[in-house]
Amino acid sequence: MTKRGFLFAMVAACAATPIDDSSYSDDYFRTNPWPELDRIEREGPPRFTSRVHSCSKVRYQTLGNLLASRGVNLAATDPLSAGAIYKASAAALAGPNYLQRVRENVEPGLATESKLFDIFVQAAPEIIANLPNRPECQKNGVGAKLFDAANTCQRDGISCLIGVPATQTHVDLCNQTIARADDVEHCKQLAVAVLAAAANTCE
Amino acid sequence: MKYLLAIGLAACVTEVGTPADNTPHDEWDDKLAGRVLDYNAALRVAALRLTGELPTLVEMSAVATAADPKTAYETQVHAYLASPKFARQMFRFWQDTLKMGDDPSLDSAPAFAAEVTVQNRPFTDLFTATTGTCPTFDVASGVFTPADCGNGVPATAGLLTHPGMNKQFFSNFGFRRVRWTQETFACTAFPAEIATVAKDVGGATPYTGVFPFDSIAGTATGGRVDFRDTSAVICANCHSNINHIAPLFAHFDQAGAYQANIVVPTPLANNPVAVMTDYLPAGEGLAWRSGTPVTDLTSLGHAMAADPAIAECVIARVWNWGLGKSDIIDGGNRVPAATIQAQVDAFTHGGGKLKDAIFNIFTSDDFVRF
Repeated sequence: MTKRGFLFAMVAACAATPIDDSSYSDDYFRTNPWPELDRIEREGPPRFTSRVHSCSKVRYQTLGNLLASRGVNLAATDPLSAGAIYKASAAALAGPNYLQRVRENVEPGLATESKLFDIFVQAAPEIIANLPNRPECQKNGVGAKLFDAANTCQRDGISCLIGVPATQTHVDLCNQTIARADDVEHCKQLAVAVLAAAANTCE
Repeated sequence: MKYLLAIGLAACVTEVGTPADNTPHDEWDDKLAGRVLDYNAALRVAALRLTGELPTLVEMSAVATAADPKTAYETQVHAYLASPKFARQMFRFWQDTLKMGDDPSLDSAPAFAAEVTVQNRPFTDLFTATTGTCPTFDVASGVFTPADCGNGVPATAGLLTHPGMNKQFFSNFGFRRVRWTQETFACTAFPAEIATVAKDVGGATPYTGVFPFDSIAGTATGGRVDFRDTSAVICANCHSNINHIAPLFAHFDQAGAYQANIVVPTPLANNPVAVMTDYLPAGEGLAWRSGTPVTDLTSLGHAMAADPAIAECVIARVWNWGLGKSDIIDGGNRVPAATIQAQVDAFTHGGGKLKDAIFNIFTSDDFVRF
């Protein structure tokens, strides 16, 4: 059965049932109900979706602030540096183009998220080195480190990286990544990139 | 038929359960009820929106270790709203909302809207302010420097007379400026008004506008474009509203400067300048909505300021921004009235102060539950 046929069948079966959401205006459904019906099928009715947080992409400017506040040099000129990739990737990161009357696209997309992960991978060494020196990641003048001298992941450092108090699961996953490493330094970077990407794939 | 279909589908997703109060509910209600308070997660989102940065370790600890996390969270939201970074975020928010920015001539519009927001002035200043509508904004310091626009308007009416807006949305007949006004501040695409009873005007589909069908111009009244045409679509369904507004924006040239005469072109051969009889028949007045006549952009601004739909729209926009939705028009992320009724009521009864509304939204039950 086609989707349209399915919808008609549903209507035939349920037409006597009262609508469950009186907040819709007649105008709205009369203009073009099909996109709304698709959305309801995928995500639930607006009375639900409008009341829950969405999985939105980190806005371009916010990403820059986020990177800088965790120790990334956005003025770096090395083309493989996180800062340079960020600066050159406004379009790939779905930034706005106001001169063409285009708003920022906050819907997460594969290409956008891939670019985001590229940036976090390249940013990881800088973040590991500089995060404890950032005032945002200090308490009582003491900087939070991501790893101790034994290369064990540190809860406060992860918290500052991801923006919420880290759980034991965060710490365990981080440590497992290190434990599986042949090259500890690279795996520390991978752990940081994965944690950052996971935290920021959805705001 | 489509309307019935939509109602039918909405009805079909309802499964009557057995709650204690016998209120019908479905899986979506259950999901909403299953959310839990998480002030740590809320703080992260609030910080990203209101400051453009992640919360600091100290801020996180203050909420995570508080005996009363609700109060600690609300205290932090207050602090974010008082931060210079909030001004930066409002500037970005309004750039995106207005689709204007990245050029000094365009940036002063979002700067003005951000200034109104940050200073907690009545939101209606966006349509009624008579001075200071072209400020500059220093992103680094978060400081606004007031300035007038100086584009020759007889009277300034907030953003409606803004040179950057009129430049950015220049088009044939000035229609793009009308569309921008409608979609940005009324949160619906055209048609703006739909009658409860449709009227057969001889087309394949009926006329559904609220204005009388013959209240707009057509070739029968001497207009050069037949806005009364019914051979393909019913043009008047949208143009009944558009044509009652557009002449007000038709005096701004391509650079956004006001001119005494209508200066916008038409899409006719050799692009002649539009004339009043292209829009409306002789004797027909301008109007924001059917039954809401206006005479100039100043009265248009006041009519918009008095329209409850405008207040609902800005609250819906801020709500969507807070909860990470894409645009209410571009992304189709409509907000049912019931979702934001408390926010709209507080906003309209509190003098239309958007900064207060942002606090209410960011501390609302839906915002802090995940």
